[in-house]
Parts: sequence; structure tokens; C-alpha cells
Amino acid sequence: MPMTDNSAGKVGAAPEGARARDRLALLTADNASVPLPAGVQAITAILLAALLIALPWLGLGYRFLSIAITTLYTAIGLYGLGLQFGQAGIMSVGHAALMGVGAYASAILSVQLGLGFWTSLPFAMVLSAIVGGVIGLPTLRVGGQHYIIITFCFCALFVIVLTNGGTFTGSATGLDVGSVTPLPGINFDKLSNNYYLVLAALFLALAATYLIGISRYGRTLRAIRENEQLARSVGINVDLHKLGVLMVSGLFAGLAGVLQLYYLRHISPTLFGAFPSLYLALMVMLGGARYLYGPLIGAVIVNFLPEVLNLDPVDSRIAYGVCLLLVILLLPGGVGAGIKNIYCALAGGFDKQGGGSNGRA
Amino acid sequence: MAALEVRGLRKQFGGVVALNGVDLDIDTDRVVGIVGPNGSGKTTLFNVVTGVHPATGGTVSWQGQDITNIGAHRIARMRLVRTFQQAMSFPGLTVDENVRIAWEQGRKSGGRWASPGMILDFVGLAPLGKAIAGSLPFGSLRRLGLAVALGVSPELLLLDEPGAGLNDSEAQAFAAVIAQLPPQGIGVCLIDHDMDMMSELCDRLIVLDFGTKIAEGPPAEVLADPKVREVYLGPDKKVGAS
Repeated sequence: MPMTDNSAGKVGAAPEGARARDRLALLTADNASVPLPAGVQAITAILLAALLIALPWLGLGYRFLSIAITTLYTAIGLYGLGLQFGQAGIMSVGHAALMGVGAYASAILSVQLGLGFWTSLPFAMVLSAIVGGVIGLPTLRVGGQHYIIITFCFCALFVIVLTNGGTFTGSATGLDVGSVTPLPGINFDKLSNNYYLVLAALFLALAATYLIGISRYGRTLRAIRENEQLARSVGINVDLHKLGVLMVSGLFAGLAGVLQLYYLRHISPTLFGAFPSLYLALMVMLGGARYLYGPLIGAVIVNFLPEVLNLDPVDSRIAYGVCLLLVILLLPGGVGAGIKNIYCALAGGFDKQGGGSNGRA
Repeated sequence: MAALEVRGLRKQFGGVVALNGVDLDIDTDRVVGIVGPNGSGKTTLFNVVTGVHPATGGTVSWQGQDITNIGAHRIARMRLVRTFQQAMSFPGLTVDENVRIAWEQGRKSGGRWASPGMILDFVGLAPLGKAIAGSLPFGSLRRLGLAVALGVSPELLLLDEPGAGLNDSEAQAFAAVIAQLPPQGIGVCLIDHDMDMMSELCDRLIVLDFGTKIAEGPPAEVLADPKVREVYLGPDKKVGAS
């Protein structure tokens, strides 16, 4: 055939180089691009689910469980951020404000109209999605750092609006809500039940993230992340998909915000300002936005670090900064990438032993 | 009526007139070459036709429909597809996934390929399916660019300097792939500076200079045109064709 590829010929002639390149490929690729074997994925998922379900019974105490709930609802918001940043490449440092839209929408519906958790949840999620899309409109004009600044401005603006919203938003004091409307036989005043509620939502978020990652939709988003111009030229409606993914991210944020509201039972503007937003960005980068468990890992690290190391708030901020620098320098793909690198190095080592002798025989 | 009809196409970047009233008729059953000195408006022509840049004036119609300024992704979906001068790919994804993305877009309204693997076979990239696009050597990256464009199931393919940066044997292999396209119902419109390759490959040559078409016809005839020799090849040079 006239189209024999020179480089393909070289690969055949030098299997050592090819394997090295393959391994490099595995290290640089994201999860969905070079998937782990199905067995490994399934075992990881089952072990993780078992651990999370068993957590309230491990006798780790009330405080531990409280932090665990915070971690999980934060992780739900992070899955939205992970989708827009990890898959579509659109970073935001105002994501806490988007969670705040959901939380405040639900709280206002509760205070003004007496709607409970379950009835206000869909409205809050849809409102967050719409706001996510509206803040996303500038992405059609500007990308990268410019868009990040816009999200930061939105976050600042949101706090100002809430603080000046009078009795409607509760001003600086914020709003109070009752507890989650009980389901038959399940009273969410009990902390472990509230934990399971948040955990169920996390499982939904994980499943949605996984399904999007392996779907055609996920591939389309990655195409936009990797090369917007080429994506357009193969027929992808880039603008529509960018707004779309920001709205999906808004749905996750709205869900997380409502869960946060009904766990804390009281919200105030400072919960959704610049610092919480930066923490969310930190978590998603620490954990690895492109990996299925990355956002969860990031949330666990940031929420449990001060507890484990016994740090006060100021020290913990310094520790977060150090963590972020370490990750940027050593693990640009986050801890998720690090774990995958270790796995690939081990699996690649086995492969080298077997494949190498085959190649030479 | 030709499949692609360009009438009086104008493009201005500030005070610079990149295209100054270009008329073109391109059919989908042959290879048409566009040549001209650097800055003569070749790439701009592709960019305006495929909706990457809006036209300042004039019209582009494709299969009887006006497609002037309708947006790059809609033009691609109508099976008028282009490649880029800087070998483009989705660098962080595998070769398989690169082609699959394009194939999934092309399949929406009935593509010509049953699977992305067929496209990789066709361009000779099948052994590299699992490699990450960003790690490919340049020659393979060029092939990948072609494979991605073919994935959309084009009826007319606009290739912007597909041979740039390739060595002689790579360029020849690439030309052989391109020559196989028109018999399969994929028209090719090609920009390149390699006059030997162009005169061998193309049924028709179009010469642009300062955003204007100065000659059009069979390669031998066009390259013998004194006007073309003066602006493009220089008055003293011998024409390499024939």
C-alpha cells in the first residue's frame, strides 16, 4: 500500500521506544481517554461505596461525621466544577456562589412560600443551572484567565447582593430553614440519616460524572477542551456545548447548595464568597479534575487536613497554599493523576517483563 | 452548477485587503489546487469559505445553499470540511478518540465510514490507535489531521498545505492518499507550494495573487502563463512541471 506510515514502521523496529511512548501516553492521558481495566474500576467502586456506607457505623464520633457530610456535599459541587474544568476546560473561581444560588433559592422558597426540602430542590437546581448558563455567556467571547476573572467578579457581586437584600435574603445575618421533610420512617434530624441523604446524592453525582465521561457527550466536551477551532471544524457546536456544560455544572452546584443549606440549617453570604470559591478551585485542582474520584479526593484532603494536623484556620490556609504549590509542581494532574501514575507504573512494570521477552523471542 | 460556488468574495482585515473579489467554482469529482505567493490570500480563502472568519463581501454557496457567514460547525455538518496549515489534533486524547470524535459528528446524518477504525486503516494510522495525539511524530500528525477531517464524511475536503513539514517520501505517500479521494466521491481542494506535486496531483490549478485570481486552468497551461511565472515563480525560474 502506498500509505504505509514511516513512523509506524519505526515503532515496529523499536519496540522499546514504543513501549516507553505508550507508558508516557498513559501518564499524560485522562481517565476516560485511557481507561483503567474494567475489573480495577469495578473493585475500586465497590470498595469505596462499602467504605462510605459503613462510615457512620465505625464509631468515629459526631464531629467526624459532621466533617464527612461537609466533605460529601462539597464533593457534589466539585463534580460539577470537575465536569466543566476537567472535561470542557472551563475553570471557575466563583463556584461557591453558584452553590449559593441553589442554597438561597431553596431558603427563600422555604421562608416566603413554605416549600420544604424536596419541593424546593428542583427549583433551586434549575435556577442554579440557569445562572450558570448566564454567567457562562462571556465564555463565548473570552476564554481562560479572562473568564476566571469574570467568575470571581460574579462571586463578589453575589455576596454584595445578598448582604444588601434586606429581609428577603436576610442580609448579613442570612436565613434559617427547618429540617429536611421526613420520609416515611426516616427522620433527617438524625445525623447519620442526613449523612446517607448526602451520600445518595453523591452517588448520583458520581454516576452522572462517570456516564458523561464515557459517553459521546463527554468526548465532545474533551474535544472542545483540547482544540476549540478543530472542534468547530468537525461540526461541533462549541458555543452551545460550553453553555450546556456550565448549566449541567450548575445543576450539581444547586444540589450541593441545597444539601449544604439543610445540613447547616442556617446560611449567610460569607459561606458563598471568595474564600469558599477559592477553596473549591483548590480542591478540584488538588484532587484532579479529570479523574472520576479526583473531586472527592480533593474534598477529603481539604476538609480533613486541618482536623488531622490540628491546624487553626490561618495555619490551614497556609497548608492549603503549600499543598497547591506541591501539586502544581509535582502532580499537575492532581492526586488522582498521581494514583493513576503509580498504578500504571506497576502495571507497566509487569507488562515490560512479559512483553519484553515476547518481543525479543 | 459546481458544488462550491464562490462569487466576488472579499475579506478585509482593517486596511489590508486579503481577498479582493474572488470567483471560484469547485466540483467534488477532482483535485483542484490553489497556489500563490505567501500572503496572496489562500488560507484566508479557506477560512472565509469554511466560516472561520466572516466575509466582508460576496457570497459562498455549497450545493445550491448560501453558506456565507453561517458558522464553522454548520458548514462542517454540510460535509464541506477543511484541515489546517498547522497540523491540528486534539493533542491530549488518543488517536482513536481523535478520529472517533469526528466520526461521531459525521455519522449524525449518515456517514460513509462504518467505524473510526476504517479511517485509521485508510490513512495508515491503525497501528498507532492507542497513542496520544500530542506525542505523534509530525508525519503521523499530518495523517491524523487528514483522518479527523475524513471522519466527518466530507464531500469536499479543503486541505491547507498538507505537505508542509513532511520529507519527500512522506509527502509522496501523502499525495498517494489524496489521489485516492476523488474516485471515492470526496472532492479535494488543495493549497501547497510544492509545484511538482501540485502539477502531478491536480486536475486544475488556480493562482491567487494579492487576493485576486490571476489564472485558472490545467496545470501545464497555468504554469506556462507568463503572468503566473512572474508573480509566483519569479521571471527567471524554469517551471518544474512537464
